[in-house]
Parts: sequence; C-alpha cells; structure tokens
Amino acid sequence: MSEDLHALAGEYVLGLLAGDEAQACAGRLAADPAFAMAVEHWRARLAEFDLSAPAQVPSAAVWDRIAAATAAPPALSSPARARRPSAGWGAALSAVWESLPVWRGIGLGAAAATLLLALGLGFQMREAARAPVLVAVLLSGDNRPAAVVNTFRDGRAELIPLAALRAPEGKSLQVWTLWDRARGPVSVGLVDALRSLDLQLKGLPTAVPEQLFEVTLEPAGGSPTGRPTGPILMKGTASRAL
Amino acid sequence: MASTTPVTARIDPDALARALEGCARGDHACLREIYDKIAPQMTGVALRLLRRRDLAEDVVHDTFVRIWEKAATFDPARGSAVTWMFAILRHRALNVLRAEGRTDLTDDFEPLALASDAPDAEAVVCALSEAGALRRCLERLDPPRRVAIVLAYTRGLSHGELAGRMGIPLGTAKSWIRRSLLALRECMA
Repeated sequence: MSEDLHALAGEYVLGLLAGDEAQACAGRLAADPAFAMAVEHWRARLAEFDLSAPAQVPSAAVWDRIAAATAAPPALSSPARARRPSAGWGAALSAVWESLPVWRGIGLGAAAATLLLALGLGFQMREAARAPVLVAVLLSGDNRPAAVVNTFRDGRAELIPLAALRAPEGKSLQVWTLWDRARGPVSVGLVDALRSLDLQLKGLPTAVPEQLFEVTLEPAGGSPTGRPTGPILMKGTASRAL
Repeated sequence: MASTTPVTARIDPDALARALEGCARGDHACLREIYDKIAPQMTGVALRLLRRRDLAEDVVHDTFVRIWEKAATFDPARGSAVTWMFAILRHRALNVLRAEGRTDLTDDFEPLALASDAPDAEAVVCALSEAGALRRCLERLDPPRRVAIVLAYTRGLSHGELAGRMGIPLGTAKSWIRRSLLALRECMA
C-alpha cells in the first residue's frame, strides 16, 4: 500500500534523485511525518555503508577552519538564540573584563592565530559570496578572537562580534582604526554593547593591510578627547582575504 | 580497502548523542569531541563519493559548521544522532557532486564499465559486518542489482548514470532499483 512512499524514501536516501526531485523530498520531510519516518528508517538501514568506508584522517587545517567558523557561540548564528546560555564565552569574557589592568599587548602567537583565523574566515566569507578585501580578527586581552572586521571593495566595513560584550553603566565601547601613526587613531564606531555594525570609514583612505582596528572602553558618548583614553578591550590588524 | 577494524566499535552512539547535546548548549569542546570521533569516518565517506580529497575535506568542514549551528534542532525522538550527522554529510556531498557536474568527478570511469565497478561494489559489501542485516539482505539480491544499490549509495550515481553503466534503459534501471529497495526493506524489517 505504501510501497511508493518507501521506494521514494529509499531512492532519496540512496542519493539517486536529481536536484528538483531531491528538493521536493527535502520539503516533504518537514511536512509529512510518514515520509520523514520512512526516510529515517532507510538512513538507519543504510548507515552500515557509511561505517564501511575506510577512515581517512582529515588534514589539520580542516579543524582549524571549523574552529574559526564556529568561534561564535551558536546563539549568534542561530535563531534558537534565546534558548542558549552562552556559557563558555560569556564567562571567559567577563572574567577578562574583571581583570582589565592585566591586559597586555598581543604576542606572536596571537599574530599566528590572527593569520589562521583570517584565512579561515576569508574562506567562509568567500563561500558566502561576500568577498571582503581585508579581514581583521580582533583578539581580547587573553588572545581570544572577540570580533572580526571586514572591509569591502566599495569602501564599506563591518564589525561582527564573536562574543557578547556590553559596556558597564556610564561607559561606551568605541571602535578605532589606525593606518597612520602621524594622524593617530580615528573613531569609526560607538556602541554600548558589541553588535554587528557598519563602521564609518567614509572620508578615510582605503583600508590597507596591517591597518589596526581596536575597541576601547570610553566614557558614555565616546572619548572626550577624540583619542582612545580607556583600556583596549580587543585589537587586531587587517590581512588581505585570500 | 581492507579496514578490518570494526568501525562500529569506535563509534559510541550514546557518547555522540551526549556531545551533540553539549553543542546545543554552546559547549565548543563537545564539537571537538565529535570531530575527533567521527571526522575520519566522515572524510572516508565523502572521499568515496567525491573522489577528491579537497572537496571531501570542504564537505566535512561544512558538515561540522552545520552540526554546530543546528545542534539545538536535533530531535532524538526522530532518529539517532550519528545518523543525523551522517545525513548532513551525505546531503552536502551529494550537493557538491551535483554542482561540480558528476562527469568531472567520474571521468576516470570507463563508460559502461559496470564490470570494473562490480569488484569495488563487492568489496564494499565484504567490508560490511557479516552479522549485519544489510549485508545479509544485499547478498540475497541478484549481483547486478546488488552492485547498482551499492554504487548508488557509495558513489552517488544517479538513475541515468546507473542505466548508462549497466547498459540498460533508464526505465529498467528505475524499476530494478525500486524492486531491490522493496526487497531490502522486507528483508531488513
């Protein structure tokens, strides 16, 4: 009676169906519990095939890229955000927050990590057909990636947080860029809590490799002097996306 | 080819299900745990389908990013965590296979060369657990039909490609597969 259903589910799981047929089945999976169950049965029956493939250890770069692409807590990239406490990252960052005085400069290890992450993120971005020209990974004081800055060919730039960070009462987070020591850092963004934002690079020279981006803690409303006055919360230099 | 270690012994479904729950909570160490346990197996499956290591590794990468993003949507009531994760892998790999144009990836096959595929397919069957229902039931099928099922799943061949390789009309290939599937289903019930 339901032979058609089971045969179709089997063909789908075997991978025999062409693009549009396969898509129709994928849609039906969500809408038709009987079909979904038939597919699940086939997957379970045929899973032994997957276990028969000779295992191949993937190259180390694969995990590095996965780690870079998943550095954000899933809450940032998933609609299920309300359901997820951002345990590891939130806790780590607030611990760092509380030890502001011990924050120090960023060492060689961080530079290597930045490069690695820039490569990984560069790959991700290309996949999404967005192609930033430059990528900067901003590292927190304990050398964890805290945000990414992407600059694009048309002069736009965006900051994407990789961890939650909110300024305490009476303070703001200010984003700066530095490409010329003679000119000094220029403010390109001001927020109370880190979120994805477009940086105001208009009127500035085109971003270049090695250009510095950083976020400092400033009085509410931004630094009164037009220069960073508070502690650096994260910083990183731009690298060309491959 | 002869990886004789029983892979099932290395993959502990309960531990993987717990690690997937960890991912849903945002515990990155759990993703690494899953990776350490099944990434080599996944790479093997992807390589068998795509026959190019760079593509296989890209698919494994995409699969783990997806596992991380979708962990919270996994419903244990609907199936096992391992099956869910391998389904993501196969889905991705089949998409790549379609997008890259199957011919690019399969041009090392001789046309109508089912005869040369058959030993590969039989080797796959031999690598299956002797105690498993899949092997027992596959062995009950006529050899050409068994080969067709194995090639479809492990190489991602389409109906049309199977028909071409077997030298039979498309309609015949479709009805072979369909009858073989229903026979397998009955045998494995």
